[in-house]
Amino acid sequence: MNDIGEFTLLVALATALYGCVAYVMSARGNRIDLYLSADKTPFIVWTCVMISSICLWKAFLTDDFSLQYVWAYSNRELDTFYKISSFWGGQKGSLLFWTLLLSTYMLVVYFQNRSKNLRVVPYAMAVMLAVVVFFLFLINFSTNPFERIPLPPEDGRGLNPLLQNYWMVIHPPTLYLGYVGFTVPFAFAVAALLSKNLDDGWIRMTRKWSLISWFFLCMGNLFGASWAYVELGWGGYWAWDPVENAAFMPLLIATAFLHSVMIQEKKDMMKVWNMSLIFLTFAMTIFGTFITRSGLIQSVHTFDEATLGYYFLAFLFVIIVACTALIIIRLPLLKSANELDSFLSRESSFLFNNLVLLGIAFATFWGTIFPIISEAVRGVKITVGPPFYNQVNVPIGLALLALIGIGPVIAWRKATFSNLKKNFLKPVSAGIVMAVALFPVIPLGSRAEIYTYVTFVLCAFVLTSILTEFYKGTVSRMGSHDESVVGALTTMTWRNKRRYGGYTVHIGVVLIFAGIAGSQAYGTHTEKHLQLGDSFEIRGYTIKYEKLIAVQATSIKTRIIAQLAVERDGRRYWTARPEKEFYKGQNQPVSEVDVLSTWKEDLYMILADFREDESATIKVYVNPMVSWIWTGGWVIAFGTMISMWPDRLEQRRRLDRVRRQEQLFPSPAQE
Amino acid sequence: MGFIHFLELILVVGILLAVGIPLFGKLKLKKLVEAVDPAVDEYKHLLVRKEETLISIKELEFDFSTGKISEPDYKELRHKLETEATRILEHLDQLEEEGKKNKSVKSHQT
Repeated sequence: MNDIGEFTLLVALATALYGCVAYVMSARGNRIDLYLSADKTPFIVWTCVMISSICLWKAFLTDDFSLQYVWAYSNRELDTFYKISSFWGGQKGSLLFWTLLLSTYMLVVYFQNRSKNLRVVPYAMAVMLAVVVFFLFLINFSTNPFERIPLPPEDGRGLNPLLQNYWMVIHPPTLYLGYVGFTVPFAFAVAALLSKNLDDGWIRMTRKWSLISWFFLCMGNLFGASWAYVELGWGGYWAWDPVENAAFMPLLIATAFLHSVMIQEKKDMMKVWNMSLIFLTFAMTIFGTFITRSGLIQSVHTFDEATLGYYFLAFLFVIIVACTALIIIRLPLLKSANELDSFLSRESSFLFNNLVLLGIAFATFWGTIFPIISEAVRGVKITVGPPFYNQVNVPIGLALLALIGIGPVIAWRKATFSNLKKNFLKPVSAGIVMAVALFPVIPLGSRAEIYTYVTFVLCAFVLTSILTEFYKGTVSRMGSHDESVVGALTTMTWRNKRRYGGYTVHIGVVLIFAGIAGSQAYGTHTEKHLQLGDSFEIRGYTIKYEKLIAVQATSIKTRIIAQLAVERDGRRYWTARPEKEFYKGQNQPVSEVDVLSTWKEDLYMILADFREDESATIKVYVNPMVSWIWTGGWVIAFGTMISMWPDRLEQRRRLDRVRRQEQLFPSPAQE
Repeated sequence: MGFIHFLELILVVGILLAVGIPLFGKLKLKKLVEAVDPAVDEYKHLLVRKEETLISIKELEFDFSTGKISEPDYKELRHKLETEATRILEHLDQLEEEGKKNKSVKSHQT
């Protein structure tokens, strides 16, 4: 099987290379024979990569330690669940997994578009195949997951215990689905430039792809934060780590892109800007993989054998140079005749939103690459920590939050001050009420506390602004269609999925802002060394150390559990069981925290240390409002689902366009 | 030759056949796309613009009904959008007229 896995990777590379060249030649030479030949390659590439992946999975499931990769990331005792996820636990497998997702996306694009727009699609397929070629080249010649060990050992080294968590099964695939997904709009943007089809066709063709990729990237970031929270055991969920930043930056730029394409669709303008944003988003996804796999920046998230930096750097260089050159060459065709009707309009607020999002992305980028630059210039690696990011990004983030509230209140095209005054009345009043209500209650002693106070006030403003939109729309529909409240709200949302789905996503973002603000400013923590029976108090909780339990979970895993009784108002409230897990062959034990999560706060317990006399060191964090962040994530998922739900009206309009066009110009459908 | 090598050979031969047949087979069509008629592109673009303008009018009405926009602004913008829509429709009519003429000329020639 391993031979087949290795061989199919080589065949996939050769086929992808041929497909890429044949697609371009078919488009340039207008040759249908070459197109039909190239058109077989996406399916062949996908099949080969899938066979190869199945071979690797089989090697994991059958404990085939003749493969160096399986030996390094698995052992006989590992749960089947983790044997499956070990596939992407290391660099080699993760690149194969990336390629599998990319070729799967490519196959879906192929089936969706094979009979459509034959002027653009061949180029788009060629671009996607070129990206596949890059990854297959790395897998075949630099980081082959089928590398053998001449004398296979009896057992494997095992998966890093930090990766033995259910988030390992969920987080990387989610993040990769987001990263990889942006290859599709990128490919269509390049194809539009190459084929000179520079209307908004490429945006319409890839609208759902952009949204779904954004959604996965967003969820990937949140799942990563959740994983760090429960697994790394430092009481937090975000540390502005370079790899976290690498996933955050494309999300910011993609968010800017999703907003600005609406202006192009509505007003047929900002073509250069949108092209630049999608190129930048794609470049940032490659930059993310560069950070994780270069070995240049230290992070807990980078791969052990991170050695591929120069390949990714070269690829990044090619992308940036090629895309910039393409935009410059096509600049005359990208100019728009239209302009903004008014600077006081929703379009303008979207432009500000774009600038703010790019501002945060740039600050994060600068902080991420600063260690590399400082080392290159001064020979000293200076790492930029959370204070830098918080100082720069928090004020810009607050401006972004304010814009989320301002956007829905301003009309498209043009707004006047008198109307703005009227429309802002309720949201601003809500903000003022929140400001007055919170002022005597919450501390305002530090900059962080003031920022948090401002965040809560803005959250009230934004939430009211969005809910007012739902309310006004529902009332208007009830008046004009004689419907009940529920009926009017549902129909209104259903008929305007993009608008109200978007608003729902914004509600989720508000919850995330509130959760971050609350947990960052008002959290507290303590660390106590306790004998059996000792107790201490924190934020109204009485915590009593009851016993230390040792459990031999498997032949390679031993669990040491500290049992703590948590009392509140004199009653037993919860029994916490934080633990340390010891794995055979691993030097460091792993902390498994125990968290009691409520909407108000999280009680977060860590067993930091223990001794033979059964005394233990316990760390306790009280983190307010953390659950709001995860709830915000689910609200975002719900809003995205509404936005992405197929729109029959739009499909009908598209079919009608194609029909009218074919009646008049009876050539193959160019939609 | 082992069984694995035999499978690999079959795979390569299968792929070569799949990508090779279109290159050496006889095809009815020779060209991937017909020569680009600028009118088709323009027509396609105008159909999209027409839809967007009509959607904008609907959204404007909705914004007006929810009090987001004042009456003078509503009237001004509506007039602007209607003028834009009329211009697009006229242009579409003109292209359709030309398209029909070309079509009948072609059918007479054949």
